[in-house]
Amino acid sequence: MIYLLLAAGLFMGWSLGSNDACTFGTAVATRVVRYRTAVIIIAVFVIVGAFTLGPNNIGKLAELATSNEVMASSDSVHSAIENGTVAELRFKSGLKAAIIFICAGLTVFGINFLKFPVSSNQAITGAIIGWGLFYADYSNPDVLSTNLPKIGAFVATWVLNPLIAGIVSFILVGTVGKFLEKRLSTLGSYDMLIKTGYIIAIVLGSLSIGINSSANVTALYFDYAYSETGVAANLLTSPVLTAGIGGIAIALGVLTYSKKVMMTVGGNIANISQMDGFLVIIAMALTVVIMGNVLGIPVSNTQATVGAVLGAGLTRGAKQVNFGVLKSIGIAWVASPTIAGLLAYAVAFFTQSFFG
Amino acid sequence: MFTKSTKTNTVHILLLEQLRDVESCLLYFESFMRAACTEGTVHETLKSLAVNVGDAEAKADISLRKMIDSLQGHAYLPSTREDIISVATRCDKIANACEGIANHVVYQHFSFPTQFTDDLLEIVSITHNQFEVLEKAITRLFTNFGDMLKDHSILDEIRDFESKVDKIEHKLNEQIYALDIELAARMQLAKYLESLCDISDTIENIADKMQIMLITRKA
Repeated sequence: MIYLLLAAGLFMGWSLGSNDACTFGTAVATRVVRYRTAVIIIAVFVIVGAFTLGPNNIGKLAELATSNEVMASSDSVHSAIENGTVAELRFKSGLKAAIIFICAGLTVFGINFLKFPVSSNQAITGAIIGWGLFYADYSNPDVLSTNLPKIGAFVATWVLNPLIAGIVSFILVGTVGKFLEKRLSTLGSYDMLIKTGYIIAIVLGSLSIGINSSANVTALYFDYAYSETGVAANLLTSPVLTAGIGGIAIALGVLTYSKKVMMTVGGNIANISQMDGFLVIIAMALTVVIMGNVLGIPVSNTQATVGAVLGAGLTRGAKQVNFGVLKSIGIAWVASPTIAGLLAYAVAFFTQSFFG
Repeated sequence: MFTKSTKTNTVHILLLEQLRDVESCLLYFESFMRAACTEGTVHETLKSLAVNVGDAEAKADISLRKMIDSLQGHAYLPSTREDIISVATRCDKIANACEGIANHVVYQHFSFPTQFTDDLLEIVSITHNQFEVLEKAITRLFTNFGDMLKDHSILDEIRDFESKVDKIEHKLNEQIYALDIELAARMQLAKYLESLCDISDTIENIADKMQIMLITRKA
């Protein structure tokens, strides 16, 4: 019964999958790769990414969640074991994770509804901090000094991630694109390059989503004290299974509900060339995987894609870039963690008699 | 670095075959027009030359269908297939136009006024030269795609030919409407002139389509 609480995270994963598949929209909208082929490749490699390197990204999110009283600390687990209240702690931990995912999910849905690009990563982080602002004593200098660097690291990725993706994309499009173009002999070879390029890009992009985003949708259900205590104080105890379940949820979203958003986004960014299109996806994937593994923080695919598209556009000069789009992205970047944080704060306020 | 597959090679060969058939139709049409513009040509001779044009057009049609069939084997990406079909069907329109003009001249026993024949033959000759450049451009598009991406000035050459035809057309139209003949006869002559110049326009449109193909594929 307690595992029903996983549904909120799985739903978050499902909607993340249906939304993040838009990254590959150009490949499908330009009919380089068939929709069915694309979603099968994406689903398989999202799951592979989640099961292999996905567990690496659970740690930092779990730390942030613990210091913001969303996940139980090691001390709380030990005292629950001593007091015989592990079952209650486990239920509350699962419930808190579900609340955070519902708050983040509603935020993502609302901002998406208003047609702004949104990052589920930011929404989850915002919801965790919102919960923490109610329960963690931020007036305590110790709590503040523990949390500020963690929050700072997450916020820094929101700026660094699109910036680095933009730089990587600018270099890839400006050098690799031109390099490949010079070596094209026939029209047939151009088509072969585009097809191969998109397949490679989809594989790398899907791996990056699996590695990164799987942690976003299930990390809060993970009991990272389990290896030390041997007692399950949250819903999931294996890091591989935690990330893997997240990956499967994302893959289901890709397989069942991604066509519409894929075609819409693919069509809208079709003003970049086919060659730029796959190099942008590769730039996004490289950035997300490298940043995720170096920092151990799950970073946003959406932000990296936006940065990479801008970087590709800049290779043709600043006039080719629609800077107006940056305004809506800026609004969403501020609004998404703020709204999710406020929602989580409100839920924390109304449920304090239960969790307090 | 990236080599050509058998499927794409087949499409390329069949497209070149179709271009050769269209060119042969243009050659027959040129002979037809020379005969039609020569005083005293027997109607039966014109009729037989028109049949040659028609036969060449039918052959070009068959080549087009073969080429389109070869695209069903998933050679090229869908967008490239669409572009190739678009170029090939526009080339087919050139042969159709030649056949149409030749048939109407025969049906109507039409005689081109002698004061216009030199200019009309000049248009046919320019159009033929323009088509030869188009053939070269299409071959380069398929075999030297990378070079064509860098330099497609050959497409400007095609447009230059069309400008020349435009100038002659303008001059002739002024002369036609200044003729002291019935309005219907003036309009009939102007219609032939328009149809003749449309061939050059079609070739220019193909060059434009090729330029769009290149721009959308440039990194």
